[in-house]
Amino acid sequence: MSSDPDKLIAKADKLTKLSLTRWSADWKSATVLYEQAANAFRLSKKHEKAKEAFEKASKGQEMLSSPWDAAKHMESAATVAKELGNWREVADFYRRASELYIECGRSQPASDALAKGARALEDALPEDAVKLYIDACETLEEDGKEQMAFDLYRAAASVYLKLEKYTDAATVLLRWALAADKCNATHSQCKAYLSAIIVYLYAHDFQQAEKCHNDCCQIEAFLNSDQNRCANRLLSAYSDGDVEEIKRVAQSSTISNLDHAIIRHARKLPMGDVTSLKGAAPEEEPLDEDDLT
Amino acid sequence: MSVIDIVFRLDDICKKYEKYDVEKQRSLKTSSEDAFARLFASFESQIEAALQKSEMAAMETSRAKVVAMNAEVRRVKARLMEEVPKLQKLAQKKVKGITKEELEIRYDLVLALPERIRAIPDGTSSAAKQTGGWGASASKRNIKFDSDGHLGDDFFQQSEESSQFREEYEMRKLKQDQGLDVISEGLDTLKNLAQDMNEELDRQVPLIDEIDTKVDKATSELKNTNVKLKHKITEIRSSQNMCIDIILLCILLGIAAYLYK
Repeated sequence: MSSDPDKLIAKADKLTKLSLTRWSADWKSATVLYEQAANAFRLSKKHEKAKEAFEKASKGQEMLSSPWDAAKHMESAATVAKELGNWREVADFYRRASELYIECGRSQPASDALAKGARALEDALPEDAVKLYIDACETLEEDGKEQMAFDLYRAAASVYLKLEKYTDAATVLLRWALAADKCNATHSQCKAYLSAIIVYLYAHDFQQAEKCHNDCCQIEAFLNSDQNRCANRLLSAYSDGDVEEIKRVAQSSTISNLDHAIIRHARKLPMGDVTSLKGAAPEEEPLDEDDLT
Repeated sequence: MSVIDIVFRLDDICKKYEKYDVEKQRSLKTSSEDAFARLFASFESQIEAALQKSEMAAMETSRAKVVAMNAEVRRVKARLMEEVPKLQKLAQKKVKGITKEELEIRYDLVLALPERIRAIPDGTSSAAKQTGGWGASASKRNIKFDSDGHLGDDFFQQSEESSQFREEYEMRKLKQDQGLDVISEGLDTLKNLAQDMNEELDRQVPLIDEIDTKVDKATSELKNTNVKLKHKITEIRSSQNMCIDIILLCILLGIAAYLYK
């Protein structure tokens, strides 16, 4: 066997191309050759060729109906593509790998593949990255493994915050709280709720924050928690327009135990003019004494 | 004459003139007859003892001892005051051998007793006692203050010492509050850390269970493989023969080396 990877590739291609003399492709030997070539290319840092070789190896494994190996090769291809900076391909490869893993029936590696893709794309294509994160979370949730999804939710929320999409970030945080609820992780749940309220306040959307708080108070675990007390203090400080109090609450230890991205945003509160919120409370109809309802 | 003789002569003379000894007569009389006289005598002796004690208290320097002695004196006085009505009743009784005048004298004595008892100093200011004493004994329902009459304006005036004390107390309270705040923050952090650790461990429990089952499977497979391997090897060549084989091979190699050296 020649160690020259190009020759290996050529040989393998010949084995797989159907022609008059060849009626069925010999995937077994071809796959072996492809793998060897790919490794050789990777060692010699020929990324483009390595990527192609991995792709072909993965296809070969698929034909040999071993999705596990196929997925592994796809992941390697994606890593090489990352070195190339070929972001679209990175995303595609990781998605394909995750699909193959799901074929094997292994959800954890599938979501891991998506997470790796998301991490690679965080800087370049943050929108796609966050989509990958959310898909990864869904993959785990379908399999009942919400516990593992916490880190992914955290990462997704931080990407949204970087993108300054606050409503989306808050939505992700609330989904995180839901996942935490399913596995009875009350502490994480309460922290997620508090983070969502803080994000709404950071977006200077007091009504939303209040609504969110009211929704969260429906949940008993949150109602009796430290985080709820902190949220109450924060919201009352906001409605009083007391900037000092807001800053004091932001320095408190309850907030300092949240995710550091959230802490940074909390320390920057209040955003904008707080006194305007004082008059923003909905006016109540003056109580009519004759009205008996 | 020797001393002994003088003593004997004195005794004789005393015995002769016993009937003129007023004290003894009285004590003889009281011991045989009179409940009143007996009680009165005991009263007198107790009052004497209390007076002595109060004098000692006045001379004492240790405050604790003074306080203890004054308390004793007060206790005795209280007891005596309780017994006074009993004495009064006894005084009224007619006893044989006592004239009417003597009866009245006795009654007066009993009346004078409370005054005498109260006069025993027991560390409290006596002047106020005099005025308040009557009221206290008349109606027993008032709350007895030790120094009533002295609750004037300057009684509640803050002396320098007391205001300093109050300031110090406030400062210490502030410092304690600050310290407690620090402790509470530390405890908050601890609580958060502990809860996070709790959740992390909960997360890892199913993972470790999985690892456990997988490793168990791997171990059992390994054991099986080992057993099979052993069987196969003994099948090919039993261990005894295997050893002989190896030894002969070594000897052969040694001979070859020797020949080719």
